[in-house]
Amino acid sequence: MADLLIEGLVKRFGDVRAVDNLSLHVADGEFVTLLGPSGCGKSTTLAAVAGLDRPDEGRIIVGGKTYFDSARGIWLPPEARGCGLVFQTYALWPHMTVYDNVVFPLTLRKVSGADRKRRVAEVLALVEMEPYADRYPHQLSGGQQQRVALARTLVYQPAILLLDEPLSNLDAKLRDRARAWLAELRTRLGLTTIYVTHDQIEALSLSDRIVVMNAGRIAQVGPPQEIYERPADPFVADFIGTTNFLPARVAEVGAGSAVLELGDGQRVEVAAERPPAQGSRVTLAFRPEQMRAATAGEVSDGQGCVVETRVLSRSYVGGSWQVALDLGGGALRLETATPPAGDTARIWLPRSGGIVFQETAHVAG
Amino acid sequence: MSTTSDAGAPARFPREIPIQYGTALLVVVLVAAPLLPVLYQSLLDGPLYDRDVRLTLGNFVRLAHTDGFGLVLWNTFVLAALTTVVAQVFGTLAAILFGRTDIPGARVLGELFLWPLYLSALVLSFGWYTIYGPAGYVTLFWQSLFGDAPWNLYSLGGMAAIAGVSQAPLAYLYCLSSAGMTDPTLEEAARVSGAGTFTTLRRITLPLMLPAIAYSAVLNFTIGLELLSVPLIFGEPAGINVLTTFLFNVSATSPRPDHGLAATAAALMLVVICFLVWLQGRLLGNTRRFVTLGGKATRPRPFRLGGLRWPLFVGCVIYVVLTGIAPIAMLVLRAFTSFLSPMIPLADVLTLDNFTSLANEPIYARAVRNSFIVSLVGAAIATALVGLIALIVHRSEFRFRGALHYVALFPRAVPGVVAGIGFFYAFALIPGLGGIRNSIWVLVIAFTMRFIPAGLGAVAPMLLQVSPDLDRAARVQGADWWTTSRRIMAPLMRPALVACYTILFISFFKEYATAIFLFAPGSEVIGTALLQTWVQGEVGVVAALAAIQVIVIAVCVATARAIFGVKLHG
Repeated sequence: MADLLIEGLVKRFGDVRAVDNLSLHVADGEFVTLLGPSGCGKSTTLAAVAGLDRPDEGRIIVGGKTYFDSARGIWLPPEARGCGLVFQTYALWPHMTVYDNVVFPLTLRKVSGADRKRRVAEVLALVEMEPYADRYPHQLSGGQQQRVALARTLVYQPAILLLDEPLSNLDAKLRDRARAWLAELRTRLGLTTIYVTHDQIEALSLSDRIVVMNAGRIAQVGPPQEIYERPADPFVADFIGTTNFLPARVAEVGAGSAVLELGDGQRVEVAAERPPAQGSRVTLAFRPEQMRAATAGEVSDGQGCVVETRVLSRSYVGGSWQVALDLGGGALRLETATPPAGDTARIWLPRSGGIVFQETAHVAG
Repeated sequence: MSTTSDAGAPARFPREIPIQYGTALLVVVLVAAPLLPVLYQSLLDGPLYDRDVRLTLGNFVRLAHTDGFGLVLWNTFVLAALTTVVAQVFGTLAAILFGRTDIPGARVLGELFLWPLYLSALVLSFGWYTIYGPAGYVTLFWQSLFGDAPWNLYSLGGMAAIAGVSQAPLAYLYCLSSAGMTDPTLEEAARVSGAGTFTTLRRITLPLMLPAIAYSAVLNFTIGLELLSVPLIFGEPAGINVLTTFLFNVSATSPRPDHGLAATAAALMLVVICFLVWLQGRLLGNTRRFVTLGGKATRPRPFRLGGLRWPLFVGCVIYVVLTGIAPIAMLVLRAFTSFLSPMIPLADVLTLDNFTSLANEPIYARAVRNSFIVSLVGAAIATALVGLIALIVHRSEFRFRGALHYVALFPRAVPGVVAGIGFFYAFALIPGLGGIRNSIWVLVIAFTMRFIPAGLGAVAPMLLQVSPDLDRAARVQGADWWTTSRRIMAPLMRPALVACYTILFISFFKEYATAIFLFAPGSEVIGTALLQTWVQGEVGVVAALAAIQVIVIAVCVATARAIFGVKLHG
């Protein structure tokens, strides 16, 4: 087991910087998730650590062993690194049985026969696949294949474990179970792990820390709760959970709070640790679960504000309704048990919990 | 689990370096071996193995002033052009009829249509001779009914008919695969908007096939230029010379060779073919506009032919019988008879004499045996080389893999006759190779060089379908490139390698154009023996040899398709 140090990593594809000066330290035994939309550079970073893709600049050091150093011209081929990588496609060799797949890395390391058998049995037991040792990959379900792929990687006790969207090829139900299983396994193994995904639920539920990436750069690094509750910018806020963004102007500034004027002149008061300057343009962000339809006769008070919105559409999604609303030019999505009757709806926004971002930064889709 | 980590594989010498560089070097030598001597010889005033020769441009002047060389060039062009027209017309029609309509028996007809592809044009020529030649079965039959037959194989038109029929399968295959990739909704959209069957075929289906037609036309034109067998058998006696027979007559195969002239003509041919192969690449690269994306694996709904269904079926059967089945069947029948004529009952002439004389004459027996050894062993060696090239080009970080790919595909631009002349010079030039020069191994080497592109064509597409994650997974787990290639990639490539071996076996077995310049007494193969016995007028032995070739190839094709489900073209 080892820690991972990435410094100033750059990978260019033509003029595009797929990874743009990325630096990251992952402690021994830490589980870190690289999270971001496709094309953000997370898989390229992973491939650089595994040795599948040669970066242009930077350094990668794992447990004191230099994998890559552009300044010193060091580049270890993948086979000399001792990483473990579980592919999105699992990459089980179709011409080998489960046993043969798992024993392959041990054969390469010239592990003795008896030891080999024991370790394969151990690791297959760990992933609960022992009864399937003689099966071929095509005889296994997606979830089983994924466990074998993991076993094949764990069997040689890699320095670090790299997981490339391991759950994305499973159907939704299986994915939930596999995630729970993975979470349990990770606490038992305590391996230094880099996990790549575009699914924020996987990232939030599994990681010690999350690295949100955008356009080859790190947008924010932090524990799941911090990322979720205090996103650094609208991109992170948008990516980590479906969020409603409202453009606004700061009308009044108080101590620890600000009154914002929305596009249609309605005003809301929100808590803000460091209120932005009066008159500046801001974006106010709420999560859907933070808003609710206002009860009849409810008015703004110290807890939150009630605002008038225009109903754009409503659709039944099973058990509840999704209502699209327009609030002063900003689009809101509200989940509610009873849809609003007319063309307008009054909704309640909490005073705290919403996030105020300086300037109306672009929100990547 | 134990806590010791054995993650880091011990550092060792990167084995891939000698393997990859060694393979690349071998391919470069193999491809350059026939080419450089040809170019060198074309600039010398004497045979290149002589001691005092001087560099000169005189050969080019001499070639330009050779009597009748202009006519040779013109004949070559006309033959290639006519061949292309015949091949394209029949190939495209067949692709539409068998691939896109509800004609009865489309699958079987399509299979039969492909058969000339598996046989050499040489064997097909003999087949046509036995039927449509001056004393051919059909010719005599026709004469007894209507008087003189209106066809003459000993003409540019007659030769183009044979060559065109033997090359039509290529046009057929390219058009068929293009039709198979076409999104059927494009045609259905035309139907829905009111276009009838034939309007849709003419306005939608055919235009979408244009890139395939254009590409295969250039391909067929190229093959038409390189063709040796048909002009040698039918052109020579009638005094119609083309570039390949011109080469044949002035090079080492003739009693009085003129090496300077031969090499210069070969170099000229090389330049022209290089241009055409480059053109093929351009055509293939420019097909984006016509690429139709559907992705759905739905088989397009076939066009209804209506009342024309059965008449067209009969027409197709007549074509397949007259051009392929009948000539080959008669040739095989001729092998088992002493004489074949519509006037004499078959039972009176049935005999095994042809095979007896074949077995008793050491030259012929040796030729058959050599053919088997060259094909069985040579194809195995070539397949191993092709597999290695494919792995290096598509699945390695080898620095010169792009260049290696280019060099490995270059033999496409080297006609068989030029390769034959070139290897002849190469082995004459390099001392100490005398032992190989008169053995069948010179043929193995030359054939391997010739058919590397064909082998790659069979292996590369299947290799590209293997997910790169499979070898990456092995690399990450500690296997170096060579271990990954042997343990992971080689087993996964097995179907591709079987297809490659089958294709190379058939190609080696029927090859004659290269061999005719290289064989020596003792290293004859069926192809060279066929031409020799033909010249000697032993039609029965020719038929027997051809029958062996046909039967071996038929068994080979049938086995490969039945057991391995291998596609032998594409």
